[in-house]
Amino acid sequence: MSDSSSNTGRKLAAALVLAGLAAVFYNLVSVTRPPPGELRTIKDYSPWSAASIAVAESLPVQDGGRVKPLATYAGFNMLAIFGSRSMTVAGNDGKAQTLNPTAWLLDTLFRPQFAIQHPTFRVDNSAVLEAVGVKPRGKRDRYSYAELEPGLEKLIELADGYESIDPKHRDALQQQILDLAYNVRDFQSLLGQFAFARSGVAIGSGDEPQRLNVSTVMDKAPRIRDDLAAARRDGKAGRGPAEYLYQETTQVAGLAMRGMNIFPPAEASDRSWQNSGQRIMGVLNGVTHSPGPAIQDIMALEQSVHALDTGDAAFVKEFTSLCNDLAQRAAARGEGRHLALEASYNRADWFFNAFLLFFVGALCAVAMWMLGTGRSGRILAGITLGWTLSGLVLCVIAIVERCLIMQRAPVGNLYDTIIFISAACVLLALIIEGITRRRFALGLAPILGTLLVFLSRRYEMGDPKDHLDPLVAVLASNFWLTIHVITITLGYAAGLLCALLSTLYILMRGLRLDRADGELRRALTLAVYGMVCLTLFLSLVGTVLGGIWANDSWGRFWGWDPKENGALLIVIWTLVILHARLGGFIKEWGLHLASVFTACVVVFSWWHVNFLGVGLHNYGFTSGKDVLWTFYQAMLGLMLFGGTAKWLESRK
Amino acid sequence: MEQANPPAATKPRISLAARLLAWLSGLGLATVLLLLIGLLTWLATLEQIDSGLYHTLRKYFDWRAWYIIPEIGGTTVLLPLPGGYWVCALLALNLTLGGLLRWRRDWQRVGVFIAHMGIIYLLVAGAVAHHFSQRGHMRIADGATSNTAEDYFEHVVEVAEIKDGKPDVIQVIGGQYLTDLTGSASRSVSLSKMPIKLEFSGWLRNAEPTPVDENTSLAGATACDGYYLMPKPDKVEAEANTPGCVVQVDLGEGGKPETFLLSSAALEPVTLRHGERIFTMVLRKRLWLMPFAVRLDKFTANFHPGTMKPSKFVSEITRIEDGRQAKAVIQMNEPMRYANLTFYQASYDQLGQGPTAKMASVLEVVSNPADKWPQYSLYVVAFGLLVHFVAKLAGFILARSRHNPHV
Repeated sequence: MSDSSSNTGRKLAAALVLAGLAAVFYNLVSVTRPPPGELRTIKDYSPWSAASIAVAESLPVQDGGRVKPLATYAGFNMLAIFGSRSMTVAGNDGKAQTLNPTAWLLDTLFRPQFAIQHPTFRVDNSAVLEAVGVKPRGKRDRYSYAELEPGLEKLIELADGYESIDPKHRDALQQQILDLAYNVRDFQSLLGQFAFARSGVAIGSGDEPQRLNVSTVMDKAPRIRDDLAAARRDGKAGRGPAEYLYQETTQVAGLAMRGMNIFPPAEASDRSWQNSGQRIMGVLNGVTHSPGPAIQDIMALEQSVHALDTGDAAFVKEFTSLCNDLAQRAAARGEGRHLALEASYNRADWFFNAFLLFFVGALCAVAMWMLGTGRSGRILAGITLGWTLSGLVLCVIAIVERCLIMQRAPVGNLYDTIIFISAACVLLALIIEGITRRRFALGLAPILGTLLVFLSRRYEMGDPKDHLDPLVAVLASNFWLTIHVITITLGYAAGLLCALLSTLYILMRGLRLDRADGELRRALTLAVYGMVCLTLFLSLVGTVLGGIWANDSWGRFWGWDPKENGALLIVIWTLVILHARLGGFIKEWGLHLASVFTACVVVFSWWHVNFLGVGLHNYGFTSGKDVLWTFYQAMLGLMLFGGTAKWLESRK
Repeated sequence: MEQANPPAATKPRISLAARLLAWLSGLGLATVLLLLIGLLTWLATLEQIDSGLYHTLRKYFDWRAWYIIPEIGGTTVLLPLPGGYWVCALLALNLTLGGLLRWRRDWQRVGVFIAHMGIIYLLVAGAVAHHFSQRGHMRIADGATSNTAEDYFEHVVEVAEIKDGKPDVIQVIGGQYLTDLTGSASRSVSLSKMPIKLEFSGWLRNAEPTPVDENTSLAGATACDGYYLMPKPDKVEAEANTPGCVVQVDLGEGGKPETFLLSSAALEPVTLRHGERIFTMVLRKRLWLMPFAVRLDKFTANFHPGTMKPSKFVSEITRIEDGRQAKAVIQMNEPMRYANLTFYQASYDQLGQGPTAKMASVLEVVSNPADKWPQYSLYVVAFGLLVHFVAKLAGFILARSRHNPHV
């Protein structure tokens, strides 16, 4: 093949890689950033001051078994309901204002008059709205609580019916209706959290009844209980003012009985924090041992809410005092030690920034491959390395910060595996580059980084929950988490990398982009051989370590759990490759074709077993399986392409 | 061997034994066997979703399974494959022969040789555990003491002579004498310490005692006292199966033998009378007597606050042996190893409701002669592979620096 046609092929390949990268970039940006639709104008809306946000984002909240900053709590709530961590609205001046999760949650908690107008609810199928009698704007859009309100009764009625259907048998529309109903319920629960402080308890009649603070009612709780007991004794239950106060307070406290556990308990042995509703009812029912601090807490919240009417400075003053008090009480219990670090981790958005760096690195890599080995090519190689290393550094910082926040080894759940594998793959590719110096691994590093960080973002979108959550008892062993889980995860990374290196080999040789450069081919083959060996070493050691851990946890070395089997399959497959190669049954082409299949085995073990619905590592996934099948098909298609190319080559 | 026989002009004749040895130790066989093990593991992973783990393992990896026809998602896959046990056994042979014959003092491959020896050790550990390990579970309430563990799967028939309202002598008929009695097969058993002859038949792996009514079609089943054993499909969790069988009891008094139904789902034992002597007979999971007793002093189950996610399960126990007492703590990832037995924290129960409800801890008890062998084999394998791969990598880097390729 002539040089000119090879160059054309290179340009074509570069264009295809660029198109693929652009698609990934567009997809990530379009799903994680707010949609460009019509800007919502909210009358009289004013943004929160930076001081309010700064105070609020470090407020400790106990949620999902750990104490976390409000920023994290807000982020996952917003991601689950809105589908993004960033919302844009406009005030009277019509200028767009971006709300971060903390600002969005502050609106929901303190300014429901604005929050119900935010376009909070992401609806991806207009049929959901048609089913509940709300007129949709288009196939996909975001709606405010106020817009959904006319259909809420129907929504709850439908969701009640669908909830009893086995999730496996629900159709897509039923699931979407149910998801919207859950989102509405969660939003309502946030809206109602501080409603008691705004409304108080109305006493008296007429157009302007007097309002009694709930903290004042709590102060009078012993007398209310005595009066209630006396009324019951005298057969007058249900009529007196004590009964009225009790009922009204119970009603407003009832709106704050779910989530937002911001009050650390007084007793050190009591591990469950309380929310406002529990705080109020505990005093009202006389079950709180020392009611004084509980009344103070509720009073401080009321003061913060009322201070909002005065102005931002007053609010910041009251709210700062409350937040500081709660943070100090948490610290005295030895909890929430890393709130500030976690808040800054949220702000930094390390992985999105790493994605951008890898993306630019990937663009440079394509240009580097295009320009060849000349001076400009060498300069671009340096630039590619710079971007890639910067992305890697951000990933490493993020992983280290997560370890500090969680106080555990870096990999404990599926999300952890994705980000760890992203960093590991990039690092391994750079090490290969250091050894081979042929620039193929250097180019692959940012591409792999881009794709894997993209995967982590998409996974987070699909499963919007706190992935810094504490571990179940059996996993709570830093020793085993470190040596088994990390080894096995590095094995996945090595397996994926050898498949990607072979993909490059097959495409370059199959499409004749490598100008039949024998040295380049040999270097790639040696790199793949090395990665197969490394995959074997890590997977074998990791698998046996897992068995030893299982022997200490459950009393058996091997339990045929799908995840265990998946790891064993990687070991066996790499052994097949190495023995077949040693026996001469496969040569260069065969090694690369088999190495591509390693990706299928790794993906089966890493992802697919989670869908099987059995075993100890089952995550109960029900959606996203199509992506796996597409991946398998792509890999098998690549193998078929490679096989055909080899056949055509051998005929010449 | 090759040096001793220099190549001749004509092709040397290789004996059949040498060819067989070469084939058995060959890389071709190794590759095929590894592929087969991979395929069997993958299919067994998929098949356990519908068939349950216990049955899938028996189907794929029991020594009695010579060949396998996979069934995935209820569909039979017409791909007969050899049984996993024998594939593993052949691979162990291939590894041993290959490792020993092929190494031939090639010091460059010493790492590979060591790794192969480690894998053989691992496979042997697996075989020893498969054939000689026992496991069961011990359920103890807070404050209670137990010296028996219950097997997960094996059901036995226990016949006890009752004196003063308590079992005095107990004789046990093991599961291996019962489980093959399907169809019309039967087996007679004479009890050495009791004047009782038993004839077992009609074993059903999962069955339920069911009243006979006018619509019942017995289809060969034995009815007794208005009940018969209705066969049920196997449970996915095999330990939840309730087997049953028919037993004919001859008390040797010249009377007609009586027929009873035995079922592990029965609430009451069968009672037999021989003159003044009283016997009970029951089908139940095998009990395993421990060489010491275990008292549960305190069980703690902690959850991450506000969630149902467990953070810690701890059983504080006292081991009681010949009157001597020793304290121990058993928790997740920290079992108690003692007297060739290992006790693991498996799960827990709550006995009753409300704040005063007692807790019961479930401990898994395992006796495995190869308990720590996989760990030792790992050291060997990891060392061998490390030696090999580091040597290879060093060789590659040295060769590259000699060639000094363009950058």
